[in-house]
Amino acid sequence: MRKPDSKSVRLVLALMIPILVLSLPLSIFPDAFTVVQQRVVALFLFAALFWILEPVPIYATSMLIIVLELLLISDSSLMWLRSEAINYGREISHREIMATLASPVIMLFLGGFFLAVAATKYRLDTSIAGVLLPRFGRNPKIVLLGLMSMTAFFSMFMSNTATTAMMLSILVPVLGAFAKEDKARVAYVIGIPVAANIGGMGTPIGTPPNAIALKFMVDLPIAFGKWMAFGIPLVLVLLLIAWFSITQLWTIQAKSVELSMPSSVSKSPKALIVYITFVLTILLWITDFLHGMNSYVVALLPVGIFLATGVLNKEDLKLISWDVLWLVSGGIALGLALEQSGLAVTIIDQIPFEDFPASVVLVCACLVGLLMANFMSNTATANLVLPLVAALGTSVSGLGEVGGSAHIILATSLSISLAMSLPISTPPNALAHATGVIQTRDLIKIGLLMGFIGLLLILMLNWILVSTQFLQHS
Amino acid sequence: MEKLFVILVEDQPEVLRAIASDLREFEDDFIIEECQSAAEAWDVMKRAEERGGYVVLIVSDHVMPNQTGVEFLTRVHLDGRFRHTRKILLTGLATHQDTIRAINQAAIDQYIEKPWKRDDLVAKARRLITEYILENGFDYQSYQGVLDSAVLLQRMRNNP
Repeated sequence: MRKPDSKSVRLVLALMIPILVLSLPLSIFPDAFTVVQQRVVALFLFAALFWILEPVPIYATSMLIIVLELLLISDSSLMWLRSEAINYGREISHREIMATLASPVIMLFLGGFFLAVAATKYRLDTSIAGVLLPRFGRNPKIVLLGLMSMTAFFSMFMSNTATTAMMLSILVPVLGAFAKEDKARVAYVIGIPVAANIGGMGTPIGTPPNAIALKFMVDLPIAFGKWMAFGIPLVLVLLLIAWFSITQLWTIQAKSVELSMPSSVSKSPKALIVYITFVLTILLWITDFLHGMNSYVVALLPVGIFLATGVLNKEDLKLISWDVLWLVSGGIALGLALEQSGLAVTIIDQIPFEDFPASVVLVCACLVGLLMANFMSNTATANLVLPLVAALGTSVSGLGEVGGSAHIILATSLSISLAMSLPISTPPNALAHATGVIQTRDLIKIGLLMGFIGLLLILMLNWILVSTQFLQHS
Repeated sequence: MEKLFVILVEDQPEVLRAIASDLREFEDDFIIEECQSAAEAWDVMKRAEERGGYVVLIVSDHVMPNQTGVEFLTRVHLDGRFRHTRKILLTGLATHQDTIRAINQAAIDQYIEKPWKRDDLVAKARRLITEYILENGFDYQSYQGVLDSAVLLQRMRNNP
């Protein structure tokens, strides 16, 4: 999609449908429909089409959602667009719409970004890599497992993209050690993005869809440590399966491999502050039951500490991925509009979900998330799918047997992270593909396999979580 | 898609054509302008900038009538509009003094000696183009074909 004319076609298409919906007479919608709800429908279609067709960058679409909500459905919207009529509907507070930009999950991610920026600036990541790499020995299969575990571990706290970039930049220069026809090259390069995608499931800050899931799991808020308690076992199992599959699909011929990385561990006072804060933050995150601070509050501690001690300065602030934060905010704003306008409930009422077995709803939600995320951004997929799932759960009573909406949201958000069949599925895939070592068909092979096995594992995990009432226990 | 320009400056027409043909693989994503003098190149760059284009890379010869390559690149370096523009000096006849000025005053990014090797020129251009695209926040995925993957990985690491 590189020709400018295709971009304008996509733009026109993505604009036409929402505008058409806006200009329809209210009478053709179901009975209790309000003007505000009609605008929310148009807004949702706008968001979906813009995120799927990408006529503008995805973070720009998110910001447009917030701006359009303020203009069209807020209590401070354009005066000519408002009316006192009974069917106008409920306006949404402009404060609440704006507050999505600083909602607790956004702060959680901000804290995560601060940790990641500081870790990169003071080379904590490469130091750990340098210390661990020689310990994996020389057996190429074991070294690959070591590399994948390290990647998964980093991607629990850093962005999957930055982790992949770091690991590949260590790896690609040493691939020459393998013979030209040795499939080990493919195995090593494909292992990194797969591990990074999987690792993101391990913690709430591992990948943005997790944060969006947390935001919508209102009836069953889960703490950082609790997420890790099921997230890390899931990551470990998936990682082992991925490693096994990769070594089966691409046979490593080399008998021995030696990886090393020249690294100097910084021992400056500022670096020490980074090490201590990093460990302290993670400890506080998983011990909320001891001190009472929730993970959102804890997330702001590194922000305060790093800025006050000069570990990070105003130049480093520019390294924060504001685009990711705002991308998530747009999704939260969309969910806010769906819920507060009453549209979510109205739509669900129209569809006889009671007739579907709850397990079908669960599997469908996971499949839709996985499928969409293979072709578009994981975060944008979560932005679109999770608010709908949340609405489904609050208004459909029959979902109890699969654990209610919170469990479906969780399972769906995890399924989204399984999307890795194409170079465009995730930025880690794109980076690995850009090295030229792996082909699209390689990604399709491992991506389909991980998607299928992963989905089964997630459904099994959900069954365990529901039957042990794991999320309910505090 | 942004309008991205690569400017080639060389007073000998046949050499200019040779450079252009070596850089042909960038034609799909960039507008490659062949200029026979520094003055012409400056004109093209000014017009490109005024129309919202970006001058990504200049490949310039040094010994040319009127304005030399180093003088021209110094002018480019001092102009805020072309702050991020990458500069390659491609020459066989620069004196020691010229070379010093090329580094200190024109802040060139690469110095390539004539006769040049096609692969070397393309690799260097690719690296500089990748740096420019990532530095300016353009969507790197739509330029996948012309990017240098080592530079890409290096830069993406610092974007946690």
